[in-house]
Amino acid sequence: MTLVENLFENLRLELRRGCLTLAVLAQLKQEHYGYTLRKALAARGLEIDENTLYPLLRRLEAQGLLTSEWREEDKRNKRFYRLSADGQEIFVRLLKEWNEINTAIANLL
Amino acid sequence: MELLERYLNAVRRHLPWLRQDDIVAELRANLEAQLEDKEAELDRPLTKAEAEEWLKQLGSPLQVAARYQRQQYLIGPALFPIYSYVLRLVLTWLTVIYVIANAVTIAASNQGGASVLDAALRLPAMWLINAGIITLIFAVIERAGVHFPEKFSGLGPMAGPMTASWSPLDLPPADASGGDWAKPRSFTRALLEVFAGGVFLAWVLLVPHYPYLLFGPGAWYLESLPYRLAPVWWTFYWLVVSINIFELAWKVVDLARGTWQRPQKRARRLAMHALSLAPLCVLLAAPNHVLFLLKNPVADAAAHGATVASANKGVLQAVAVLVAIIVLQLLWGIGRASLDAYRKRQAAM
Repeated sequence: MTLVENLFENLRLELRRGCLTLAVLAQLKQEHYGYTLRKALAARGLEIDENTLYPLLRRLEAQGLLTSEWREEDKRNKRFYRLSADGQEIFVRLLKEWNEINTAIANLL
Repeated sequence: MELLERYLNAVRRHLPWLRQDDIVAELRANLEAQLEDKEAELDRPLTKAEAEEWLKQLGSPLQVAARYQRQQYLIGPALFPIYSYVLRLVLTWLTVIYVIANAVTIAASNQGGASVLDAALRLPAMWLINAGIITLIFAVIERAGVHFPEKFSGLGPMAGPMTASWSPLDLPPADASGGDWAKPRSFTRALLEVFAGGVFLAWVLLVPHYPYLLFGPGAWYLESLPYRLAPVWWTFYWLVVSINIFELAWKVVDLARGTWQRPQKRARRLAMHALSLAPLCVLLAAPNHVLFLLKNPVADAAAHGATVASANKGVLQAVAVLVAIIVLQLLWGIGRASLDAYRKRQAAM
């Protein structure tokens, strides 16, 4: 990987990091377990690899933004996540921030 | 699938003990669902090679487990600026204290160059040990912050105690970084410098003939004492005179050439600083470390010999400390000059 490609990759990951949190919070207004959430996000054009998404869900839960419960589905125990009350409030504020940044960038370009 | 089971077991080994069952159970559910989708798509079970390729794409067990660790850094970005500041501060002061303490010890024990070399070689080990201790302390603070975020919410550069009472009014004046020497000089200042330099030189030249100019009324008392200065003081004296003549001549030339308004160059300032070491080094290198002698060694040796020896030792120690301080100031100046030159080069690129 050249220096420019490496730099681009680092900046791309940095740019995506916050966006992924927002996308996960948005998608978890409906209940999902890890794999179906990943599929739902990919279906809407946002691919996230497993090693990013699954630990992210646990971090967001530890921060109180998500709630989870183990439940059996298709004869298999799965951990289902959904947005908590705090998560809903934070999501609304983050979305506002996101829209402002989007508008500002659009004005700049 | 046996390969998936082996993979999950390998991940488990690198996970935090308390949460490993929970994490592996969730990971298994997700990966098995993914595997089912893949097999449904192919309408057959994955071959061993395909399964191997899929698991390789997921990442090594160590990498996968690492993403579940709460702490990703030894010292995180929030704490790092304070850590870096404390580290630099401690190592700088450690070096200053170490150099002064060793200079005094070596001078007091009349040890030679081997002791200086020995002290210099021990310095990196001291840096390493102290840097290690500081790093350990900050790593513990970082860990505490990760595991008990509610108790350590004040950590970090944005909310830390170091910034809570910060005010722009406490900052040093804007011209302090450049120092007085970096400002353009006025003609009056340049003239006054030459005048003051001339008066000082005249005073220095008159002191040997009229000691009361230096010691005041105490000169007559000193005259009555049974001690005298060793010849090395004359070398010291003439070196001081030479340096002052040189500096005065330089200022006169500046004045004559009309270059007095230019700010003093840093290199010139550093050179004069280095030159000021010469007379002190002459004293340090005094033959047999003798700076003071008895006027009548035969008659006064019994009564005053010990006093003279003690004075020689004490003054030499003081000179050694002075030399150490000047050398450190010089190194600091050279370091800052090099850093500024490097910054200018980077800015020009």
